[in-house]
Amino acid sequence: MQGGNGHKADQIRIGFYICHCGHNIASVVDVKAVAVFATSLPGVVVSRDYKYMCSDPGQALIQQDIRDYHLNRIVVASCSPLLHEHTFRTATAKGGLNPFFFQMVNIREDVSWVHEDRVAATQKSMDLVRAAVRRVSLHKALEPKRVAIRPEVMVVGGGIAGIHAALTLADSGKRVYLIEREPTIGGHMAMFDKTFPTLDCAACILTPKMSAVKNHPNITLWTYSEVTRVSGFVGNYTVQIKRKPRYVREDLCVGCLECIEACVYKDARFADEFNQGLSKRKPVYLPFPQATPQVVLIDPETCIQFKSGKCKKTCIESCDRNAIDLEQKEEIREIEVGTIVLATGFQPFDARRVPYYGYGHYPNVYTALEIERLVNAAGPTGGELILKDGRKPKSVGIIHCVGSRDAATNRWCSRVCCMYSLKLAHLIKERTQAEIYEFYIDIRSAGKSMEEFYNRVAEEGVHLIRGKVGDVYPDPSEEGKGRLVLQAEDTLLSRVLKIPVDLLVLATGLEPRSDAADVRRLFNISCSTEGFFMERHPKLAPVDTFTEGIFIAGTCQGPKDIPDTVAQAGAAAAQALRLVDAQSYELEPNTAYIVEELCSGCKSCIPLCPYSALSYVEEKKKAFLNEALCKGCGTCVAACPSGSIRQNLFEDEQIYGEIDGLLGTEFGTILDESPTHALTGR
Amino acid sequence: MLTAQEAAKALSDLTLDSLYEIPEGRQVLSCIQCGMCAGTCPYGEFMEYPPRRIIAMLRDGLIEEVFHSESLLNCVACYACMSKCPRGIHLTEVLLPLIKQEMFANLSEVPAELQAALQNTLRYGNPQGLSPRKRADWVKSLDFPIRILPDDPRPADVLWFVECYTSYHPRGQDNSRAVAKLLHALGVDFAILGNEERCAGECARLVGEAGLFDTLRERNVGVLRKYQFKTFLTAGAHAYDAFKYLYPAYGFDYPLEHTTTFLAGRLEALKPRLARKLNHLVAFHDPCCLGRHNGFYEEPRALLRAIPGIKLVEMDHHHINSLCCGGGGGGMWLDTYYKSKGMERLSERRVREAIKTGADVLAVACPLEVSRFEDAVKVMGYENKMVVRDVVELLAEALGGD
Ligand SMILES: Cc1cc2nc3c(=O)[nH]c(=O)nc-3n(C[C@H](O)[C@H](O)[C@H](O)COP(=O)(O)OP(=O)(O)OC[C@H]3O[C@@H](n4cnc5c(N)ncnc54)[C@H](O)[C@@H]3O)c2cc1C
Ligand code: SF4
Ligand code: SF4
Repeated sequence: MQGGNGHKADQIRIGFYICHCGHNIASVVDVKAVAVFATSLPGVVVSRDYKYMCSDPGQALIQQDIRDYHLNRIVVASCSPLLHEHTFRTATAKGGLNPFFFQMVNIREDVSWVHEDRVAATQKSMDLVRAAVRRVSLHKALEPKRVAIRPEVMVVGGGIAGIHAALTLADSGKRVYLIEREPTIGGHMAMFDKTFPTLDCAACILTPKMSAVKNHPNITLWTYSEVTRVSGFVGNYTVQIKRKPRYVREDLCVGCLECIEACVYKDARFADEFNQGLSKRKPVYLPFPQATPQVVLIDPETCIQFKSGKCKKTCIESCDRNAIDLEQKEEIREIEVGTIVLATGFQPFDARRVPYYGYGHYPNVYTALEIERLVNAAGPTGGELILKDGRKPKSVGIIHCVGSRDAATNRWCSRVCCMYSLKLAHLIKERTQAEIYEFYIDIRSAGKSMEEFYNRVAEEGVHLIRGKVGDVYPDPSEEGKGRLVLQAEDTLLSRVLKIPVDLLVLATGLEPRSDAADVRRLFNISCSTEGFFMERHPKLAPVDTFTEGIFIAGTCQGPKDIPDTVAQAGAAAAQALRLVDAQSYELEPNTAYIVEELCSGCKSCIPLCPYSALSYVEEKKKAFLNEALCKGCGTCVAACPSGSIRQNLFEDEQIYGEIDGLLGTEFGTILDESPTHALTGR
Repeated sequence: MLTAQEAAKALSDLTLDSLYEIPEGRQVLSCIQCGMCAGTCPYGEFMEYPPRRIIAMLRDGLIEEVFHSESLLNCVACYACMSKCPRGIHLTEVLLPLIKQEMFANLSEVPAELQAALQNTLRYGNPQGLSPRKRADWVKSLDFPIRILPDDPRPADVLWFVECYTSYHPRGQDNSRAVAKLLHALGVDFAILGNEERCAGECARLVGEAGLFDTLRERNVGVLRKYQFKTFLTAGAHAYDAFKYLYPAYGFDYPLEHTTTFLAGRLEALKPRLARKLNHLVAFHDPCCLGRHNGFYEEPRALLRAIPGIKLVEMDHHHINSLCCGGGGGGMWLDTYYKSKGMERLSERRVREAIKTGADVLAVACPLEVSRFEDAVKVMGYENKMVVRDVVELLAEALGGD
């Protein structure tokens, strides 16, 4: 359908398009009626409905119409701008218009997906379309700005995700800063003996990557360090990092461990964090033999010199390289990077939160991570699994889903526990020949080689019982002293079983780190409701965040196994490289700007900006806005008492126009006044 | 949005046919058949149809078969399944009562002891079958007067709903005397309903006798309307539940307290009065209604800790994992039935756990428990080793003065 033919150059000529989105929109909204309605709106020259506007033919339609009908504004009613605003702006530009002469109407998320009443949904769509048509007439041509991207990349977190991302970036020639909070990199993977589904030894595959990080000329590795401040924007982040004192000089220590030997504590006395407190260490220690870097550290909480100032300091004497420096102070460093990969990982669920399984109360109840250490050849027992009283267990229970799939704790499935429980069953059986009873709800073995692994462990004779353990209590029988009874229904038999075990393993789930919310704020990204970092799109942008230039990888985004973690880390590195190699980045021009003549220099806007984009210029006595930092949040625009701050794409007249359009206050159009124009929709 | 009363009403009017019309009912559809409910149920091993199978039968359209079983006579309404269900399904509160109601109607024979208790409750307003006119007789044994509202209907700060065992059973009366002494010592302005009070009916409802519950509820609400008070207090843990979850649908909306929460809230005033030292090692049994159902784990323990000389120990099962005494959901009158099925009395299993701790006092906070545990202690021959006391009895004793 088309409107009048002869037109003046400054006349507004709008093309309107409504998308069916297959059935997504068309099943609830009468798209034909909306298209007809649009023809009645001032300025609309062409109105069409089409099955998939985002498809190539859909976009071509816009471009063709721009030429055929001399359109100068485009409105598309379809899905969320998040998804396709860019697509349609590009189509508008390809048709020869400024891409900002475009406005999108979301009638999917905002209408068809949330309403059932067809008449009301159609009416609401019409209202929204009327608003957009009114608004787009008031749009101005805008030029997007480009910012340069610094080539340096920071990776935060040195678990397998961070290690893999750092190596990928460094191998492609980029300068990488890897920041790890603990004294060593390696993360959780460094604690495992073997890894499912292939049962390859974790150390054998991880240690070479850890040394590669240490020795890579392009990687600056800062362990025992934390990010304390992030400012700037995509391509130009300034990051402040706190380097905690190890009291040992990293440039001098060669990891000979003489000092540990020489410490006045002849015996190790303090809980060893890396071994989950299952063994002891001295105040001066190396977290584990393959720790990277191979540099010892001194823990001021337990060191006598720090506590009383009265130690013989035998460690200092023993070090012929003079590496020990008890005067070392915390250092604050600042680095400039263009992009950031966050790989801060997960924390295991605290088994004490499910008190009825007796963790922390009965001595032979362990978490899976503790068992990982106990079956590890480099662990506190040299890989021997023994009970607290020194006996070998004859029967072992493993309970799945502790702190997963549970309304009282964490609702999500932690994805790896089924498989690691099968792995532990295999390893425990191999080490002790014990009978293993695995209590599961469902075995989740999705992924390559996982079902085969399940098959293999089942054939090894592990008792797989489908039922969640409901009660754990000391075996009341005489011969059962020291044992625990696991009471559970075998749901496939409909029978309640009471199985006495010597050792109980709790397959605790994966959850967001307790400081995830702080890290989220620091980097200005979002978290999903359960607290894992949120990706920009669950399917199409799985490693991007809503903040440009910041990417996420590994279990900080959600529970996953090592293969998926590494794949995601590679993807995050690739996304960072995409920006770095493009060397510049186009900014959305919806920034605020100051009309200097009107600014009275009252400074009220300066402290309000969450992104520090505003400053005060003393010479001019005016506020200054750094467009590269402005995210277009509009806070200052609303706050300026003299109305001297405005915002591109959100000018007052555009917003009032939109409101007028929405309320129909200027047009007074209503549903029944259906226009008489003929439609040319396809 | 529903108001609290509308929501309570929707719940109380629920039938199996309308189950999926409210969120608490629809939750049943989310069951993952994990068997946690059967695994934690103290009588799960004796249930042909534990909650998990009930849900499976319901989904498969075979629920009729469940109505013709006696399975849920073994449910002691202990809330263990409900509080551990990973889907948070309201089993003991919503699903099981509906099934029990159908099952109860289909029973070929109601176990005699239970039958008598229910009949007595209908006829006399108490399961013991004692005269309603003697409901307040225990008051005479006190050395100070207690205001009885029908005789003196002036407004009171606290209306104390005494409940049945605490009115009639000799050991229950000890509980009431203790509560009276404590309230008196604290200077609380309180009164009781005397002969106008009737059983709150929670047990009747949870055994599946919804009709009887309705009769009692109607009568009690009618009586309460006559008087003015600010706080509604009861020592009955089951009565507390009834007034908290079942009565609000019918216009009951008074601030509600159980004696333990009421006293724990006044601990600062009470503490200086607890002068007498009681040298006991005490194992505290979390009553199902107070603990699992309402989360009052700390209040009774705080009261016990406030008594000079008392040391607390925990049994193997405690807090959310506490073990039912076996008296809930009508279990109070099913001991003979359970015995005939070869089921161990839960009270005996619990006393064995208490003895294992070395404690000399088993402390409770629900009036059904005292007589159950005392009987178990006697039967098992531990009379010289252990006594059973309600928390309020220990508090009153610590007050000194007699
Ligand atoms: C008991 C158990 C057994 C498992 N077994 C297997 C298996 O056999 N096979 C398998 O494929 N998967 C297994 N998994 C899963 C595996 O652990 C994860 O997939 C993997 O460790 C995820 O790596 P990550 O780098 O994302 O996180 P992490 O390993 O948690 O590493 C994150 C790193 O970031 C650091 N960090 C955190 N916050 C900050 C911060 N603010 N600043 C700086 N650094 C920070 C941490 O110190 C840590 O070094 C198992 C998991 C568990 C719990
Ligand atoms: S515990 Fe809950 S989810 Fe599990 S089987 Fe019972 S009702 Fe279903
Ligand atoms: S309420 Fe208690 S007795 Fe009843 S089914 Fe649930 S766990 Fe068993």
